Amino acid sequence: MSPQSRPGGRPGPASAAAGGAHLAAQWGLPLGVLLGALAAARLPGAGGALAAGAAALLAAFTVHRLRLRIRAASQERGSLSEQLVQSQKLAVLGELSSGIAHEINTPLAVIGQEAELLRADLETLEHGPAREALGRRLDSIEAQVRRCGDITHGMLQLVRKAAPVLQPVVLAQLCEDMALLAEREARRREVRIVRRYAPGLPETLTDPPQLKQVVLNLLVNAVQAVRPGGRVELAVGPGAPGWSEIQVRDDGPGIPEENLSRIFNPFFTTKPPGQGTGLGLSVCLGIVDRLGGTLGAANAPGGGAVFTVRLPEGANPPEPGPALAR
Amino acid sequence: MDPIKVLVVDDEPDFVQLFVKRFAKRNLDVVSAPGGREALELLRATPVDVVVLDVRMPGMDGLEVLREIKRRHPLIEVIMLTGHGSAESGLRGMSLGAYDYVMKPFHIDDLLERIRKAWDHARRRRADGEAPA
Repeated sequence: MSPQSRPGGRPGPASAAAGGAHLAAQWGLPLGVLLGALAAARLPGAGGALAAGAAALLAAFTVHRLRLRIRAASQERGSLSEQLVQSQKLAVLGELSSGIAHEINTPLAVIGQEAELLRADLETLEHGPAREALGRRLDSIEAQVRRCGDITHGMLQLVRKAAPVLQPVVLAQLCEDMALLAEREARRREVRIVRRYAPGLPETLTDPPQLKQVVLNLLVNAVQAVRPGGRVELAVGPGAPGWSEIQVRDDGPGIPEENLSRIFNPFFTTKPPGQGTGLGLSVCLGIVDRLGGTLGAANAPGGGAVFTVRLPEGANPPEPGPALAR
Repeated sequence: MDPIKVLVVDDEPDFVQLFVKRFAKRNLDVVSAPGGREALELLRATPVDVVVLDVRMPGMDGLEVLREIKRRHPLIEVIMLTGHGSAESGLRGMSLGAYDYVMKPFHIDDLLERIRKAWDHARRRRADGEAPA
């Protein structure tokens, strides 16, 4: 996972070059000013001009670096607070929707049971067009009851109270399990799932079944987003110190800019009605949140969508990403 | 340490017999049921740590059984076995609280490891005291 490929949200670790620039930015400005002042004060002639020039260049460079870093940091803060707002919104909506789901589930169960009883009654009728027509209507009722059931199930998931149970996990293996599950559907759509697992990652302390749900969800979304012959990339790599990252990238049409901020909203969906409840991503966000991580969506520079899950490796993660003032 | 108590649910008697035999040899305490209803009946009286459950069974469908098990016995971990690896079934299963999805045919040591992890997950959950009584 290259640092350039990181979408919004918390930035990954500084590469060696970035680390050097970081140092230069931290010390360059005072050094440059010091050298410049010394040169102006002490050194006469060409040597002085040269030193002053070099000092000015160094100062200009560091100011430029600093400005870039400040901008990056404020963007990072922006997306962090966005995520916070998103999580709080999700908590409120989740509370509300679980109340609704509970209320709806009871009448829904009654409808389902009545349909079952009707089905039994139907069996006692004589065969004929009337019985078949009634049968089809019943099919439709049962299908719609199932659909409602999927929706209420999803709504309840938003506030699933199950606290995460942390276990050491090899992320690449967990992702591979889910890739194998998604593979059949991918092959049917002639989509290739390309794996990029960074070797030698430490184990991550997280809740395996809940994380699997997230990874599978992202994979299925990606597979459905690309055209036949397309590819989905599943990558696992190191993040900021103490963090790991899972990235699912597709080469589909990407996410329209105006949808980027709504994509995690419950019931937001671009799929045709009846296909998908629009709850998958908000459920994922809720899970990753409870796991102490972040989930970000972005468009890749080369096209397609990228979803990035960032997870702390342990229960008490260090601050993610380099902070501005350090 | 007490052996891990496992219930395997599958409608193929040959598979179940072989499963019980092989895992008993590996020091698991294995019981079996030929279908979902029988499994739920058995769970009323028999304490079990991990259920290994076939997704596709005649009668009560595997996902339906999973839902009932998690409703009645939230502390039991369930590993789903699937012959065909469907993403949709996987999504449903994971969202219903399955611990893992394993594709048939599986390697016995791999499944054993997953059963151990599922058991460890249940044990940690009890230790966390998060589970409803």
